[in-house]
Amino acid sequence: MSTSPAKPGGPVLTADGTPLKTSLERSLKLSKLRALGLILPPLVFLVILFVIPIGSLLTRSIDDGLSNKVLPKTLAAFERWDKTSEPDEAMFEALYLDMTAADRLDLSKLGTRMNYEKSGWRSLLKITARGLNRIDGPPYKPAILQLNKRWGDIKFWQSLGAMKDPVTLGYYLKAVDLKYDGNKNVMRVKKHNRIYQMLWWRTFLVSTIVTIGCLVLAYPVAHLLATLPLRLSNLLMICVLMPFWTSLLVRIVSWMVMLQQNGVVNDSLVSLGMLHDENRLAMMYNFTGTVIVMTQILLPFMILPIYSVMKTIPPSYMKAAQNLGATPSLAFIKVYMPQTVPGVGAGCILVFIVAIGYYITPELVGGKDGRLIGNLIAYHMQNSLNWGLAAAMGTILLVAILTLYWVYDKLVGVDNMKMS
Amino acid sequence: MRNYVLTTLLSTVVAVGMIGTAQAEVNVVTWGGAYAVSQQKAYGDTWKGEKINWINYNGGLGEIRTQVESGAVTWDVVDVLPDQVRTGCDEGLFESLDRDMFAPAPDGTPMDKDTMNKVPNDCVAPNIFWSYLAFYEEGTFKGEQPSTIADFFDVKKFPGKRGIHTWPNALIEMALLADGVPIDKVYEVMSTDKGIDRAFAKLDQIKEHAVFWSAGSKPIELVKSGETSMSLAYNGRVGAAVLNEGEKLVPIWDGQVVEEQWWVVMKGAPNVEAAKKFLVHATAPQQQAAQAKWISYGPMRKSALDLIKANEPWHHKGVNIMPHMPTREEVLPRSIFADPAWWADYGGEISERYTAWMSQ
Repeated sequence: MSTSPAKPGGPVLTADGTPLKTSLERSLKLSKLRALGLILPPLVFLVILFVIPIGSLLTRSIDDGLSNKVLPKTLAAFERWDKTSEPDEAMFEALYLDMTAADRLDLSKLGTRMNYEKSGWRSLLKITARGLNRIDGPPYKPAILQLNKRWGDIKFWQSLGAMKDPVTLGYYLKAVDLKYDGNKNVMRVKKHNRIYQMLWWRTFLVSTIVTIGCLVLAYPVAHLLATLPLRLSNLLMICVLMPFWTSLLVRIVSWMVMLQQNGVVNDSLVSLGMLHDENRLAMMYNFTGTVIVMTQILLPFMILPIYSVMKTIPPSYMKAAQNLGATPSLAFIKVYMPQTVPGVGAGCILVFIVAIGYYITPELVGGKDGRLIGNLIAYHMQNSLNWGLAAAMGTILLVAILTLYWVYDKLVGVDNMKMS
Repeated sequence: MRNYVLTTLLSTVVAVGMIGTAQAEVNVVTWGGAYAVSQQKAYGDTWKGEKINWINYNGGLGEIRTQVESGAVTWDVVDVLPDQVRTGCDEGLFESLDRDMFAPAPDGTPMDKDTMNKVPNDCVAPNIFWSYLAFYEEGTFKGEQPSTIADFFDVKKFPGKRGIHTWPNALIEMALLADGVPIDKVYEVMSTDKGIDRAFAKLDQIKEHAVFWSAGSKPIELVKSGETSMSLAYNGRVGAAVLNEGEKLVPIWDGQVVEEQWWVVMKGAPNVEAAKKFLVHATAPQQQAAQAKWISYGPMRKSALDLIKANEPWHHKGVNIMPHMPTREEVLPRSIFADPAWWADYGGEISERYTAWMSQ
């Protein structure tokens, strides 16, 4: 491509007379478009699989628009009320007008929603909606009270306070055993209904124990894998990978066979006389069971990153250290171990993140006190249908993991992490 | 190249179109195991219509709501639990069914009057009753044998561990019954905070002795291995162990909590007409009764139960099935029919409290 001789002061032109700048921009734009076209599939993939679901998760967890849509007048009347005196005729009138105008489907969905704040709302709304056509004009208060006397219970009215805004943090509060009272002050839920704080703590505890357990077990194995002669290390590698390739369920069920009250471990201990028949160990369907099984299942996620890092450490370093006068253990601690940190870091973060959201293992072997937050999320998705709460819990989990990742980045540096 | 793309596109369109039109099938979603087999034998093998695809699920409205809300409905007929049938119908997840399409009883009673319980809405078609009950193995106790639900909660009189499930349904009712609340007052008491406290106080008495189960096969294992001396279980599991395997298990019918299970058609089901036809077939008294040949769950229709009674031995192994029917007359006076409306209101709160109680 030749350019015409530049006129002093004028723009440089290409052969067809367009300015070089424009022509260059055009061709750059074209190649940018082509590049965009090339990354379009993964981009669309990313949007569909990550941005949209996570976005909808976030909106679900704070959305409380239904109550305002269905009961606008009632909520307005609620605002004017002093929250302690007996509800007056104006409130009942607003309620009647809202409920007669409401869509039947919205009303029953709202019943489900309101039932989270106070048990009984679901049937109260249902019974009332069914009886509305029997009311033929004011005064509404006695008529509605006659439909169901629970309308006279001030606690139902007070619970409206938690639902009056179209955006709520109520689900997040619930996820840590807090709630709004009628005046939107944050308070703790009743003592014997507190489960979430305990579950968050337990999930954190299990993940930490599993991570430490994996590290302790994986480090020597990885070291062996990296240092044994090839023939032996290949065999050992197969031993590591075989369970990794085996179905999760098969592995869980084998642990059940091993660890239950009349399982292999207990039977052997009893027959060896190390355990009395009445004192068989409870190692399954509880906290212990969850920890043991999860440690075994997540072990490869720790071994492989550590191994891949250890493999790259030249054996000559250890020899050099010992030549310079270090004892083997000192050389191991001072020279070898620091070099494995990237692998250890990667393994720990991988195991911890997978463990914190674990679901299937605790569900099957968790029993009474080994179930984790992931199981509660599944319960609220599938059974109680409280998707707002499930979304809030999911978001908290996501934020916790991102925070962890950030802390790791600050402490060790993500660039230092080696997955393979 | 362009030709190739065009052909591929065209053939895809044609293929999709064919899927759309050539669907002479019904997708029936139910629970797995022996229960699904009983349905396949009783309803599937006798069905002359469209091909049936049997699909298993683990209950819950989650998948159902997802399908209906996203508009991508692939299921037709679903076997659902009592609280789901109410919530789902209220939320518009199920088709409403014309009550006149179902076959009446032989004496002409319309179907909705032929069921042993009240039909809750227009979405449902009758299916079965099952129950939570206590049981033990013969020879576990010397002398006096446990015979009431109060005995189940009495670890002094009948020592040994107790198997109970990891969710509160039926347990609250049983605890109150065992504590002396009359059957017709149970839900009244349960609706007060004091009543719930009372139930948990009763549960406290067996807490130290409790072994928790969540899979339906577990209770039989617990009792047979001697890990627990008694356990709660689904009556069908105990029935199957006795009738099919010849186990010496003794069900305690006193204080059993009976639950209903219904059929529904998904809103916007792809094969809605075939689905309805299938339900008309499956809910006919003859088919309802046939189901009990294979598993000891009670048909919901009275006329079906009468059919079984008149034709004993009805079980496919040539033994009487009536002694294992949770809805036979003799056991009804000391049975509670679970109240789904109560559980819809309080289930969430009670589950939380039960979870907290369990892991303390």
